[in-house]
Amino acid sequence: MSPAPPIDPPVPPRRSRWGVLLGIGVIAAVLAYLALSGMSNALVYYRTPTELLDLGESAIGQSVRLGGLVKPGSVHGPATDLTFVLTDGTNEVTVHSSVAPTTSFREGIGAVVEGEMTTAGVFEATQVIVKHDENYVAPSEGQLPSQVIDPGT
Amino acid sequence: MIATGGHVAVVVGLAATLFAAAAFALAARGDDRGKAALGRRAMIAAFGLAALACIAMVTLLLTHDFSVRYVARNNATTTPPFYSVISLWAALEGSILFWTLLATGWAALVLHRYRDRAPTLMPWVGVTLALVAAFFFAVMAWPGDPFVRITPVGTEGNGPNALLQNHPFMGLHPPLLYLGYTGLAVPFAFGVAALVTRRTDEAWLVIVRRWTLVPWIFLTAGIVAGAWWSYAVLGWGGYWAWDPVENAALLPWLTATAFVHSSMVAERRGALRIWAHALVVATFVLTLVGTFLTRSGVVESVHSFTASAIGPWFAVAIVATLTGALVLLVWRLPDLRDTRPPGGTVSREAAFLFNNVLFLGITFAVLFGTLYPLIVDATSGERISVGAPWFNRVNAPIFVALLFLMGVGPALPWGGARWPTIRERFAFPSLASAALVIGGWAIGLREVAPLVALGLAAFVVTVMGDEVVRGAHARARSRGEDPPTAAWRLATRNRRRYGGYLVHTGVCVMAVAVAVSATLASDVTATLGPGESVRLGAYTVSYDSLVIEPLSDDPRVTETRAELTLSGPQSGSLAPALRDYPNSTTPIATPTVRTAIGEDLYVTLLAYDPANRSVTLHLFVNPLVVWIWVGGVIVALGAAFAVWPEPRRRPLPAAAGA
Repeated sequence: MSPAPPIDPPVPPRRSRWGVLLGIGVIAAVLAYLALSGMSNALVYYRTPTELLDLGESAIGQSVRLGGLVKPGSVHGPATDLTFVLTDGTNEVTVHSSVAPTTSFREGIGAVVEGEMTTAGVFEATQVIVKHDENYVAPSEGQLPSQVIDPGT
Repeated sequence: MIATGGHVAVVVGLAATLFAAAAFALAARGDDRGKAALGRRAMIAAFGLAALACIAMVTLLLTHDFSVRYVARNNATTTPPFYSVISLWAALEGSILFWTLLATGWAALVLHRYRDRAPTLMPWVGVTLALVAAFFFAVMAWPGDPFVRITPVGTEGNGPNALLQNHPFMGLHPPLLYLGYTGLAVPFAFGVAALVTRRTDEAWLVIVRRWTLVPWIFLTAGIVAGAWWSYAVLGWGGYWAWDPVENAALLPWLTATAFVHSSMVAERRGALRIWAHALVVATFVLTLVGTFLTRSGVVESVHSFTASAIGPWFAVAIVATLTGALVLLVWRLPDLRDTRPPGGTVSREAAFLFNNVLFLGITFAVLFGTLYPLIVDATSGERISVGAPWFNRVNAPIFVALLFLMGVGPALPWGGARWPTIRERFAFPSLASAALVIGGWAIGLREVAPLVALGLAAFVVTVMGDEVVRGAHARARSRGEDPPTAAWRLATRNRRRYGGYLVHTGVCVMAVAVAVSATLASDVTATLGPGESVRLGAYTVSYDSLVIEPLSDDPRVTETRAELTLSGPQSGSLAPALRDYPNSTTPIATPTVRTAIGEDLYVTLLAYDPANRSVTLHLFVNPLVVWIWVGGVIVALGAAFAVWPEPRRRPLPAAAGA
């Protein structure tokens, strides 16, 4: 058997209970602080081009996932300096990306880009995700592709 | 014919589980051994029927019987036999069938093993397990029928989900995870039985701790295997992304782990008994929540099965279980009072209590982050997701605190500690910890996370090592054994404690590996023409040629491979690829990973241009990643050591337990 640790005389329960409760309180407070203070920055909103444009100036700098169809004829530039237009049928947003999308990226396909709107009115993408649904149906106006698979997950 | 047989097996299985539930209920009322035996046989029959249904499904998949919808959607004539077999759990209906097989298997095993050992508890355990199994059979009989036929019958099926047929690990990760998930119904059943029969003493805890640890081993292995799969298949260079479904597997793991700890206090000191019961309930409910999240289409995730009608069934089951269990718990609250006064602030009890508070803290945080998008969507219609940085920010400090407690807890005496004891036990580990941090700093480590992880890991391991050495030494002296024999006998006579130490060692290994790989990884993206090369750290990767050809074992799949030559600390040829499956619009990444003890070189092919043969590569140097898997194996081995059945021997004198 392992050596029994020397048994100290028990500390009076009254004092000890406060210590434990204080510990729990501190843990809960720190946790709540960490959870709530970081929340607003950590949220990523899914938006359609119409929703994004409706936000106007306030959308600038906000982390967003923008979903739509890659407008035919709008894709320009090499893979690492790519410009294209995403549309939801009503409105369109020009997207610039310096990260290469996967091979299946092409005109007319559904795509989701993650990034933020810049003051120049161009959406700067840090990630281009091609829709990963086998039974893909083009989104109707104002509606997002229902199943987006993030390659980062 | 076979499909009809499978369907009949499901329906009869439902009848058998309902019969078992009724028999056990009658047995409980009348204390009737005969009826309990009847219920037990019905559960074993239900297991047999679930096995028959699974065999039927596997046969249908192997014979490519496209008259069955599940086969038509998840199989093709060209699917290799291995992937046909594992397609049993590749999609919604089949996975529920497989789940039912495992759930009834655990139930039959436990009911059989404990038939004579806990006669008062067993009828209620039987009722609970039978009802859980009946629920899954009912789901298959109505909304999630795996044997539904379709007409007209096609000559070719859709093939399995491309992501799932790209790596043999799919044969390992889901079964391990499901074994864990389904096994956690067993402690829940014992918890219910203990509350109903008011046998809330230590006896049920002994059974339940063992039967929480057994599924816990599988759940842990399943989660680690899942991370490994994500790393080896998805091609993004990472292994954990706080994806809703990863979280769904983590949640019951967290509460089960908390239970394993608080049950020790409940058993030894008669304290934290409400916690123990509540955690058993929470763990089971969270396994249902996990199933619900994965299979109802409410969350968007790499794991989500197609949206289906079974969501409401699970929602009802979750609410019913939670309500029933809470009512039971409140009703029996007077029986669950602590039987002894609580320990001091600096005592082992307190360490366990803080451990539980922290585990619950992570559980709430993860649950909140996972469900928050659903709440926002339901209330404001905004679609959002909570990013991984939030999860890291909230959870990292808690994990640090848990690591600290892992070192402190085992060395603190029960009841309360005085300053001299504290000084005596922690002086050396604190020095070792400081030495390692300074050493890390000296070799140029500047990131906070690895330094903290390293320091705490050193602290924990030294505390445990110190304890083992002292114990072995004392035993060697008093019994005249040589030290290694003494250490081995000490460990095998006290499996729970030393198995736990091994688990903690594995966690320390993982913690350091995670902290280092998360902060010290480097990567580069480059587009190369033939003959060009790219450097990352000490590695040089040069691009030789692009090969596009059908896969040898499945000609419907086209593989595009970039043939590369690697030089540096490791050398040789690499061939990251993209595979185009006929049923997938997106090519599936097939990254190449070169693993060494210190770091992995991870190369993934992002894109290629067939016109000018250029390729875009993403290279990562991921330090210590292999140690995450090694740590996971150590954790599983340690837990297996802890639950390994001890040879029957005469009970030791009461004073022997430490």
